[in-house]
Amino acid sequence: MIVSDFVLREWSAWAPGMNCKADWKEWYAGRRTIQHDDKAIISDAVPKMLQRRLSPLARAVFNASDKCLEPGKSIPTVFSSAHGEVCKSLEMLKTIQAGDEISPTAFSLSVHNAIAGLFSIAYANSLESTVIAPGLEGIAPAFIEAFGLLSETANEVLLVLYDEPIADFYPISPFNLNAEIPCALALRIALSGNGLPLRFSRSLESRDDGEHPVQLLTFLRFLLAEESSLSLGNQGHSWRWDKI
Amino acid sequence: MENELKQLIIDALDLEDISVDDIDSHDALFNEGLGLDSIDALELGLAIRKKYNVKIDAEKEDVVKIFSSVSALAKYIESARS
Repeated sequence: MIVSDFVLREWSAWAPGMNCKADWKEWYAGRRTIQHDDKAIISDAVPKMLQRRLSPLARAVFNASDKCLEPGKSIPTVFSSAHGEVCKSLEMLKTIQAGDEISPTAFSLSVHNAIAGLFSIAYANSLESTVIAPGLEGIAPAFIEAFGLLSETANEVLLVLYDEPIADFYPISPFNLNAEIPCALALRIALSGNGLPLRFSRSLESRDDGEHPVQLLTFLRFLLAEESSLSLGNQGHSWRWDKI
Repeated sequence: MENELKQLIIDALDLEDISVDDIDSHDALFNEGLGLDSIDALELGLAIRKKYNVKIDAEKEDVVKIFSSVSALAKYIESARS
């Protein structure tokens, strides 16, 4: 069942050591590896007083998104992350457990939409912003949300998929819900225009492709690959992307 | 005391690019001055409580005046401790 045809107008991704499309192509070809202690560079346009509030994951989101933005132009945004910054919440719980007071700054930025909020302030982006925690459903719900916006009034939507490895405290096995690297993938999509034309449809296949952090890297590989279609599903719904 | 307080502000509020010499004791800390915001006020209140054991009660005290500058803050902490 076809849900929507759309155009990928621009994309950009960041992971430690991967700063541009050429880096990702090298990574895909097996010639470049992740540099674990690398920190994402962010635009000078982001006010210094806001930059100090950005966690490594927020920096990854800003870095990837920045290359998909048109200067001075607001765009509706859909952010999607399975775990968000749950590691920060865990640190705060440990602080409370130890009987210490928690940092008001850390507390104010511990919600799932904290990065989206900082993004809208930093870029003075005044249009709609949605943040999705897709649970088992992987990356598809973010696309569905974006198509909703495109079918209403938006000409373009910025879709940002991101996740970082979760703390050892949380049980991972037997679920396929953790990626080994932090990664942010930004996609600027529209219903028409120049770019890579894609079709998004629902599939009846039963699949087990892992959760959001794993699917986001699979989707990134699909963008770099010659393959013309990608199916992703996890315990129930399956979805398919075709290059058309 | 004032320099010690400036260092506390820099450390507690992650002002990496600012040094003690960049902060004027009499300049405004919030809005147009150093550019701190309401979250910073809470964070600074917590840092002062931890370091000097001085609690600034927003209900009873004139917090706008206390937080107006490093100089005003230092005077308040010194008087509260004595």
